[in-house]
Amino acid sequence: MAVVSLYLKIGKVVQTMRSTLKTGTRTMMKRIATHPGPYPVYNLDISKARWIDDLAMAEVVEKKGKMWVTMGIVRNGNTYCSIEETLFLVEIGALHVLDGNDIHLSLKELYEKLSDGKSGCDWELFEVYRHLKSLGYVVGRHGVPWSVKGQKIKSGTCSLESSQESNELLEPEQENKNSIMELFDNMQITEVAPAFHVYLPNSKFRKSSPGDPSFILCMSRGGPPSRVEIEAVERKHGAIPLKFCHVENGRVSFFSFAKVELPVLP
Amino acid sequence: MKARWKGKASEAKASADPMSKIVSQLQSSLIDTGTCGLLSSCSVLIEVDDELADLLNRACFGRPRITAQKDKQWFQLDMEETFYLCFSLKCLKVIGEDVSTKSNEELWEYFKSKKPVFPISYKAYSHLRHKNWVVRLGLQYGVDFVAYHHHPALVHSKYAVLALPEGDNDLNGRLRVWSDVHCTVRLCGSVAKTLLIVIVNSNGLGSNSPSCLEHYTVEERTITRWNPEQSREDQRGLQNQTKEGII
Repeated sequence: MAVVSLYLKIGKVVQTMRSTLKTGTRTMMKRIATHPGPYPVYNLDISKARWIDDLAMAEVVEKKGKMWVTMGIVRNGNTYCSIEETLFLVEIGALHVLDGNDIHLSLKELYEKLSDGKSGCDWELFEVYRHLKSLGYVVGRHGVPWSVKGQKIKSGTCSLESSQESNELLEPEQENKNSIMELFDNMQITEVAPAFHVYLPNSKFRKSSPGDPSFILCMSRGGPPSRVEIEAVERKHGAIPLKFCHVENGRVSFFSFAKVELPVLP
Repeated sequence: MKARWKGKASEAKASADPMSKIVSQLQSSLIDTGTCGLLSSCSVLIEVDDELADLLNRACFGRPRITAQKDKQWFQLDMEETFYLCFSLKCLKVIGEDVSTKSNEELWEYFKSKKPVFPISYKAYSHLRHKNWVVRLGLQYGVDFVAYHHHPALVHSKYAVLALPEGDNDLNGRLRVWSDVHCTVRLCGSVAKTLLIVIVNSNGLGSNSPSCLEHYTVEERTITRWNPEQSREDQRGLQNQTKEGII
């Protein structure tokens, strides 16, 4: 009886999410529905990754499903997931994570990694990430290129504060200098910082040539951003639209503060 | 930015009768008649003939007061409207209770004493009026002003306007917390208006005299809420909406 009611509950969740998920994750949700818990389910449809503490990322060791077209960054032929990507996939049962000793990392341990602040993300940012991902948007950490040829992954890639420009040809030393200066810059001037770059769900996204994002998403902590703060971010990113998000009580809202100029009327 | 006209005839009517021309006629007529307003608390009362009454109505300055008086009509002007006519258009004089004409400096100080945020709200008001937008007070919508492309009888209002001082705004206190942003945007949306903030920077000049206004700078921004459930399919739609400041 317990199995049947759990089965029905999962079915209901799947039905409500079905209409809003992109194909890859939709298929995954279907598979969860046919496999009552407990999770993880060791079957052929779940991808596997190994969490690497030094990088604060998970290296993907086995890929299943279409989601890898839009998730994970590529360095030297390997794919790595940020904590928010990892958590999202584990929450929907699409990823199985191991630690350095090949021991399964539970969801609880992954939430703990999110909370300890060493992975460059926090709960609010994760809520935003998950909200957009569930609707099918392609979301990447701002300043972290999707793929870089011939370059090994560096520790600190995932530090949210180091707002490196998405330039695939950066020199490693120059990168570090710039990121330290920018870190100070950002901390002194403003609490408003770009968090993610976002692409629309049906764009033909390719990590090798993602193009400009549809918009850059900034998190404004505390209160709404001031004009000075908005302008500081706009100056850096030119033509790409900005949006500001706010998370409270699990509700994610998005606002634009677009500069306009009302025309002179006849 | 496109106007939402109330019917096809309205758009044609507005084209034939540009607001700049109406305001200019109002200005001339006020000068010719030497009209004087009577200052009474935060309002200014003016007594006008039918021609002026018609111009005031068409240009959307003031509110008519219905009285039993037959030969003339009475209109009541707000502080911003009054100051625009006196200071910017130089077509109206205002008399105080002591029967002397108030200079612009005296009016300025007086209005500031009634409304400390007057310099900011006036700059926003005059900035939009200068561009020939129709601007009326927007208290009933929880904002400072509402702005129309033309007369409200012809067009639905496009913007709900908040005049905000740059930086430290103890004067105004709006939109300082997220709940106020949510509240204001939602309210504007429910009355089909876009929230426009007019950010006025006094550039450290203070507000001792209306001549300071000339050196205030203004920046316009729209605040809109984006719904990710709605914009997923259409890349071009998202770009266009962003360009027009709708989202």
